[in-house]
Amino acid sequence: MSLRNTVCGIAAAVSALFTGAALAASHDRLFAYGFDVPADAPANANEAARFLTQATFGPTPADIARVTALGYDAWIEEQLGKTPTFGTPFVEQVVNARTAASQSVGQRQRINRWYWQAAYAPDQLRQRMAWALSQIFVISDQNSAISGYVVPMTGYYDMLAADAFGSYRTLLGDVTWHPMMARYLSSFRNQKPGATTSPDENYAREVMQLFSIGLVLRAMDFSPILDNGVEIPTYDQTTITHTAKVFTGFTWSDAPTNPPNFYGGGLTFAAQNAPMSCFGTELFPATGTGSNNMRHDITGDDGTTATSKTVVGGVTIPPNQTCAQDVGDMLDILAAHPNVPPFISRQLIQRFVTSNPTPAYIGRVAQVMDAPGANLGDVVKAILLDPEARIPPSLAGGDSYGKLREPILRLTAMWRAFNAQPQAPDTYGEIQMTAGSTQTSAFGQGPLESPTVFNFYQPDYQEPGPFADNDRYSPELQIVSESSVYSAANAYYNFSARAYLGMTSPPADRPLVDLSALTANANNPAAMVATIDSKLLYGTMSPNMRATLTSMVSNLSGASAGEKAWSLLYLTLMSPEFATQR
Amino acid sequence: MSTSRTSRRQFLRMLAAAAASGGTAALFPQLRMIGNALANTRALTGYKALVCVYLAGGNDSWNLLVPFDAARHAVYAQARGGVYNAGTNPGGLALGIPTGGDIALQKIIDGNDPSSASNQYFMHPAVNSLANLYRTNKLAFVVNVGTLIKPIVMADYATSANRPPQLYSHSDQESLWHQGNSIGNRAIGWGGRCGDFVHGSNPNQDLSTCISIAGSNRFEVGLSTVPYQMSSGGLATLSGVCNPTPCNGVSASSVRDNALNALLADTYASDFSGEYSRVFARSRDLFNLLKAGLDATTLVQAFPANNSLASQLQTVAKMIKLSKAQNFAARQIYYVRLGGFDLHAGLMAGANDHGDLLTLVADAVSAFWQALAPGDVNAQNEVTLFTASEFARTLQSNGSGSDHAWGGVQFALGGAVNGGRLYADGAGLIAGFPNQAPGAANNFSRGQMIPGIGVDQYAATLAQWLGVTAPGDLAAIFPNLGNFGSGNLGFV
Repeated sequence: MSLRNTVCGIAAAVSALFTGAALAASHDRLFAYGFDVPADAPANANEAARFLTQATFGPTPADIARVTALGYDAWIEEQLGKTPTFGTPFVEQVVNARTAASQSVGQRQRINRWYWQAAYAPDQLRQRMAWALSQIFVISDQNSAISGYVVPMTGYYDMLAADAFGSYRTLLGDVTWHPMMARYLSSFRNQKPGATTSPDENYAREVMQLFSIGLVLRAMDFSPILDNGVEIPTYDQTTITHTAKVFTGFTWSDAPTNPPNFYGGGLTFAAQNAPMSCFGTELFPATGTGSNNMRHDITGDDGTTATSKTVVGGVTIPPNQTCAQDVGDMLDILAAHPNVPPFISRQLIQRFVTSNPTPAYIGRVAQVMDAPGANLGDVVKAILLDPEARIPPSLAGGDSYGKLREPILRLTAMWRAFNAQPQAPDTYGEIQMTAGSTQTSAFGQGPLESPTVFNFYQPDYQEPGPFADNDRYSPELQIVSESSVYSAANAYYNFSARAYLGMTSPPADRPLVDLSALTANANNPAAMVATIDSKLLYGTMSPNMRATLTSMVSNLSGASAGEKAWSLLYLTLMSPEFATQR
Repeated sequence: MSTSRTSRRQFLRMLAAAAASGGTAALFPQLRMIGNALANTRALTGYKALVCVYLAGGNDSWNLLVPFDAARHAVYAQARGGVYNAGTNPGGLALGIPTGGDIALQKIIDGNDPSSASNQYFMHPAVNSLANLYRTNKLAFVVNVGTLIKPIVMADYATSANRPPQLYSHSDQESLWHQGNSIGNRAIGWGGRCGDFVHGSNPNQDLSTCISIAGSNRFEVGLSTVPYQMSSGGLATLSGVCNPTPCNGVSASSVRDNALNALLADTYASDFSGEYSRVFARSRDLFNLLKAGLDATTLVQAFPANNSLASQLQTVAKMIKLSKAQNFAARQIYYVRLGGFDLHAGLMAGANDHGDLLTLVADAVSAFWQALAPGDVNAQNEVTLFTASEFARTLQSNGSGSDHAWGGVQFALGGAVNGGRLYADGAGLIAGFPNQAPGAANNFSRGQMIPGIGVDQYAATLAQWLGVTAPGDLAAIFPNLGNFGSGNLGFV
């Protein structure tokens, strides 16, 4: 296939340009190529919209025009080079203004900003990648250890956005040293072994099970490596107990050291967001006066003796290193583990393109991730340009290609397709996006709101029925239930039928969608349906659905143009076809 | 108004018929099992329900049930880094022996233990209401139960084939608990498999035997059973359309309603669209079946506010009352869940510590039990509630909490339960309340217990009470049950 050859050829040329720190410059150079007609331009607006459904929070007319003009590769390069949009400066300002006015402050402030970024930030690919990463490197406001930390939780998400296209090792390090992660998985103030205690094993376990290597050894295509037909665990409980010693000594970045107070600090938003301090030999003498302040796993004067730590793969981390050396060694070992490329690549493919990538697809992406100097920008590019992403198999019964759209992504796609207008900032500078605080329960998901570190849904979830019977995966179906289809639909109703420009008494707590593209054809049901097909379904609407919706609009002959339009939008938002991205 | 349940069952019958006609079984090895699922359906009368209370994150159950006698308490306390004291021992995880008036509230004896004059226990101070139910013989403990392939002792552990896969991992151990066996990750659970066998006895075939108030879960998925997932908020109406559906007339709501039902009645080549559509259609069907009745169903018993588990169990109580009143079902299986038990930090103090969580459990379960009383739901003898949790936790402290471990304590509650006793002997290799000294015979250095009783035994006991008694049926659900000395622990 010519597209495949072209894509691979360009990808190879791009890879050759990616050399470590020269990354930003390479983006500029590439963008300066200036093809008149890009070799990999989408064939039409529908193909562009399909691509943007995978790569952004939803296609807009402007983005469709842009990717059509640039081609996929150059559009991605442009996105990789865009200035990141962050939430912290904004949320901090709102929080300070509300606090000064004695108004309550909560996660709502962070979440309003998150929805604004999803809907309006120009660096869409980075924002979408941060959203994907936040579902792997999970922290959650459902945990009381961090639920009160609105600004630094925003900072954690910003960190994911900042690292979204950098090296995996950098990301893993920043995640590990971030106090919100440490508080969430209790490595914060974790201490070396004592006479009656052992270090907390929480982070040691989850950084391996969920953030890097997973539970069993895997080939590059994600297939398990077998020993006489049996899967081979990547680590055992002894490994965990040893590794737990590495992740000790952490506290707030501003915890006082003179006199030392391991339990002090965390006095400012900046300090609560900065990489943690570690009470190890970098701060205190290894022996003699002051050594009793040590909390990292080194020999102290309380009678404990540090030991070497045998970690994953049987590698030994020597005793009595600084905290930074121990953590650095450990994360180097994990980042270099051959499981990382397939384990991370597969989950990212699931977030962007399909729940059921072929082993070959995972393998191609993993090879990109495994290349020397590769970064996550290369990985997301490989995911989106892969033939398996660009050329869907033809649709036949029993199809499990693509994915169920995440409930939140259905909302943002609708907003972006119908040019939703944000509210003006309120007295405190906040832009209301979410119509109150019921989003999480309505959708079964929310930004940094997972019930546990295992995310809203698991990569290996198999819905009972065809998916389980055919050994196929369907992560997002884990949060689809008889109850949640109703609550999500009711939310879509409130964001469409009860939130459009020109309606009587419009609400002030959510964006207002612009239905003019539909109401312009209020007397032509078929044209209205064609508009919604191209805007939300990139032209894939089935004849049956087209007939059903056209008939519905015709039968709404007594309704206003606005009601015809929102009825069409609402039905599409609930429809099984829009629920799926293919 | 064919539900997916109906069509799925029809599909199964069709396959079974194809299998019986010969030749097809070789192509579809699972057909034999599907055939069994239908052939073994028994005619069950009366009403019985199981209610699974899942304590997510790994309940530190060695602080739910604690030795009272001084000698064993000292061993326990030492293993847990001493009795917790905010000022003098903030890292200790042990509960102190109750004194004064608390003795009567917390202390219990084991009606199964001939040495109960000396071997005594107390329950966590947050669960005094449950201790009362224990003392009135409505509640029983199953001690040192966990995932096992077969009974083992420490010497067997080193051979990986002897132990369950991925011990200590939340997701994996939860799956094995839901499955009721430790034979690797499967998509189906023992509750759902029970549903396969008992559903044929239910007068209403549209309402699943298995009902979840806590979202998707593997426990309630069977070969032909798919749980009905409700919200503890009851049944919401759907905006802009008809509730119930359809409605007469030519209103805009009716027009939209017809369009929605047409979309949901269509068939989809994409399984994602197909499954989403099926769930949505089932939701509409069951709304029609349940909405009016559930809204009209009231309970005399009040349930505590700000308690998610209580809200869930309140909905269960209403559904049991409704199901009995309208003769929907002869057998039901409910699933509720409370999270937050993964207390690596803040076990003994702070917001949402273990005591806070156990208070939620005790308040919710007690209210549920009261709601089942005569004059209200009137089903105390027909309902058995039981707990499950993926693992217990290390006895040893990590400074302010405990880490993932293995065998632990669960309880069952109901009029049919042979309560007031500890069930600690599954006729295996390890029996009795374990020696809690770290590194003692069958526990590891941090106080992680090798279970003496397998989840299979615990679950099979409950399944038999529900009515799944034929050896072949039990073997189909619990393929490893034969590895264990006892297939029925006798607590219910």
